[in-house]
Amino acid sequence: MNPMEKFNSLNAKELAALDKACGWSLNAEELAEAQRQFRRMGRQPARGELETIAQTWSEHCKHKTFSGPVAFRDGAKTKKYRNLFKETIVKATRTLNRKWCLSVFTDNAGIVEFGKGGKWGLAFKAETHNHPCAVEPYGGAETGVGGVIRDILGVGLGAKPVLNTDTFCFGRLDGKKRLPKNALSPERVMRGVVEGVRDYGNRIGIPTAAGGIYFDDGYLLNPLVYVGCAGLIPVDKIDKKVIPGDLIVSIGGRTGRDGIHGATFSSANIDEETSASAVQIGHAVNEKKALDVLMRARDLGLYNAVTDCGAGGFSSAIGELGSETGARVRLEKALLKDTRIEPWEIWVSESQERMILSVPKGKLKKLAAILDAENCEYCVLGEFPGDGRLLVTHGEERVVDLPMAFLHGGVPNFEKAASRRRVKISAPAPARPTAGYGRALKSLLAHPNVCSRHSVITQYDHEVQGGTVGKPLQGRYGDGPGDAAVIWPQAATLDLHDFSGFAVSHGFNPAIGRIDPYQMALQSIDEAVRNLLAAGADVSRTAILDNFCAASPRDPEVMGDLVLAAEGCHDAAMAYGAPFISGKDSFYNQSKDADGREYPIPLSLLISATAPVEDVRRALTINFKEAGNPVYLAGATAPGMGGSVYNELRDTGNNAVAPLDMKAAVKLYAGLARAIKAGCVAAAHDVSQGGLAVTLSEMAFSGGFGADIDLAPARRGLTGTELLFGESPARLVLEVAKGREAEFLRLVKGLPVAEIGYVKEEPLLSVSDGSERFFTEDIFALKDCWKRELI
Amino acid sequence: MIIEIWTKEKYAGNEEQGFLTRMAHAGLKAGAARLSRLYRVEGVFSAKEFDKLGSELLTDPITEHYSLKPGKIKLKGGYRVEIWLKDSVTDVVGESVKGAVADVLGKDPATVRFGHAYYLTCESGAKLKHAVSKTLVNETVNKCRIEKL
Repeated sequence: MNPMEKFNSLNAKELAALDKACGWSLNAEELAEAQRQFRRMGRQPARGELETIAQTWSEHCKHKTFSGPVAFRDGAKTKKYRNLFKETIVKATRTLNRKWCLSVFTDNAGIVEFGKGGKWGLAFKAETHNHPCAVEPYGGAETGVGGVIRDILGVGLGAKPVLNTDTFCFGRLDGKKRLPKNALSPERVMRGVVEGVRDYGNRIGIPTAAGGIYFDDGYLLNPLVYVGCAGLIPVDKIDKKVIPGDLIVSIGGRTGRDGIHGATFSSANIDEETSASAVQIGHAVNEKKALDVLMRARDLGLYNAVTDCGAGGFSSAIGELGSETGARVRLEKALLKDTRIEPWEIWVSESQERMILSVPKGKLKKLAAILDAENCEYCVLGEFPGDGRLLVTHGEERVVDLPMAFLHGGVPNFEKAASRRRVKISAPAPARPTAGYGRALKSLLAHPNVCSRHSVITQYDHEVQGGTVGKPLQGRYGDGPGDAAVIWPQAATLDLHDFSGFAVSHGFNPAIGRIDPYQMALQSIDEAVRNLLAAGADVSRTAILDNFCAASPRDPEVMGDLVLAAEGCHDAAMAYGAPFISGKDSFYNQSKDADGREYPIPLSLLISATAPVEDVRRALTINFKEAGNPVYLAGATAPGMGGSVYNELRDTGNNAVAPLDMKAAVKLYAGLARAIKAGCVAAAHDVSQGGLAVTLSEMAFSGGFGADIDLAPARRGLTGTELLFGESPARLVLEVAKGREAEFLRLVKGLPVAEIGYVKEEPLLSVSDGSERFFTEDIFALKDCWKRELI
Repeated sequence: MIIEIWTKEKYAGNEEQGFLTRMAHAGLKAGAARLSRLYRVEGVFSAKEFDKLGSELLTDPITEHYSLKPGKIKLKGGYRVEIWLKDSVTDVVGESVKGAVADVLGKDPATVRFGHAYYLTCESGAKLKHAVSKTLVNETVNKCRIEKL
């Protein structure tokens, strides 16, 4: 007999075997709970019901780890969390209670106010598509981009996407480690991912203009692919509500056997036997058709609610929309790619480019006319009856018949153990580099985590829609590294007289996380905010997204790192007054190779931040602008080389992380914001990977100007190595307009801002400390080191 | 019917160099290379209609050649690598071209699939196979054939 047919009488071992065979990724408690429920109903479950439960209760859909109870042990002390996510990330947002946050943590993306007049909201979301990219990088990246765009289309009654972002983590391209049999090489993964993001973003007509790439062998088997999207929505289109009696209409792509088990796939470690059925290739043109239909139909009020078909397919999307009303679904009505498909497969298939609408019966005809005009396929799958029951049939076959309350409230959650990882810290003064500071700087500029990303960036269309003001490549030659994208979304507002825009930036620091996850979270948020400031955004209205990626949460130290980073997120959000508006997490980024060795990723937290730019015409760029302008270092340099790129190149033996003084940083940024707003600052660039010497080099060669720099005013007992290559947070380099220096100094009075030199015509960067010359280098030679072809 | 399109030699330097670099990354020293695009068009069409697709729809006559008989590119002593997406995998280019074929000929093809062919000379077939699996083919989604010319 099929084990499914005697589900209620299976023992724990048999349940586990069935789970593995079906690819559900449910744990023993969840399987037992499902069994208990069906025993109570007095019947055996249908396959479709178990599939629906597996999807709905998956880590991907329910975020059980982050939103579950945790016991965190730190030495003799234990702190208990009932819901880690709510008690850290959400708590900060609720406490801050910003009026300009229009929708947080309730929809497919967070929404904040945008522009003047209160007419628009800016929706922002980032998520990951890691596991699919490890198996098929091109298709995985494409469908990741497609998925996050659909999140923006499915927020409220639909936002118009105006910006895509992408941040990737790969194994080192020049790594010497022997790869396990089942792994694709990092170069292969990177090429596929970049091509996937490029092809989807370029074809659908959304600029890809912000992001980053990080290399570390921790990502050798588990690349991370963070994709983000921002869009504009009229504020009166933010609320949505399914009305009983509405029709369930699916628009966009057809349903096929591709993408079965993507959601449950996310809840499992990848191993040799990973199924290939969870891989798909995206179809950007189909999604563009759905986008065009939605924007027209939204403005005509032709539907009451919308959501995207993401992980879990119809099961998840219809289940979510009908969580209060229930849903009656007739799967025989679905448009299929392939007729060789089981009814339960139609229900859980994650075929791409599909959106689900809740449409009043009387408006279907008008909607159909738009769908036909846009050549967008659709089908009416059933209705939302209002009885709170999920009934899914295929002809005479009953595929699912379950109460929504069980599906959405029935998932058992158990306490996870977490403990603080002990890291031995040593802090000897780092020595001077044996080959000299100039040579060390050149090595840093050529390091994969510092060097130019032009070979990737230039593959993306970052100009489509004509609103990319702050570009990913900036400066006199159009090849310097921008700190943040500045977008003027006139393609959505259609208002050419309003120059309101927004900036988007990122903070990411897993190297610090290996030493101190709490500081990693603080410094990632600080870096994102600082990048916004450097682009001229109003950082007092920063909104942030958190995207955590971690290895298996069954390891208490992985959970311990997560707890510390979540606490860091809370504390930094409170200090900077920057609420989280949305986020996502991805666990089980841990793989076993053919020999059974485990490869866990380091805890990786991507902070994506956005803030308004009052007038995009006044946005800042990083490059030096004019010879004779004074150069200032803002922020105090603290000792500590922990997490620095320099330490990766030459281990100084100093792994102390320079701590972030958030109170001082907030005060400093407020003063700098005043100076930027007053027009005193000609260029600004944050000090991050590679340290101050890299920042100065990038500003110089991007502008085609040299600079004479004397770091004596900033030295404060630090060694030359710490001063030049340390990555202490909360620092920026500013070029101040010559005639505005007095006003600048008045506006930053009392803050740690020191004049360190001036811009000069001669293309040489000279850096000294009083009488000691650190180095003098030709800026174009520095640029040659930096401008490597990554792929 | 498979329609093969390739860039005229005088315009093909960049794509060939890029390909050779990519193979070198995968540890294969290749002497020379030519690249082509393949369209497998299935439908009830006459030879004249297929020719029309090749000449009017799929080829840029300034920079490209086409042939209805694949394998026309000659590279003495070399290999030909042909790569397609598996039939179960969504082929976005194929689907777009399918629509275009219907527009040009006024009737729908049954299917259109898009693929690549690579011609190259190299030291050994075994090394080529290894490099191809390392950089060009993902067995999860691709099918591939290597033949000696």
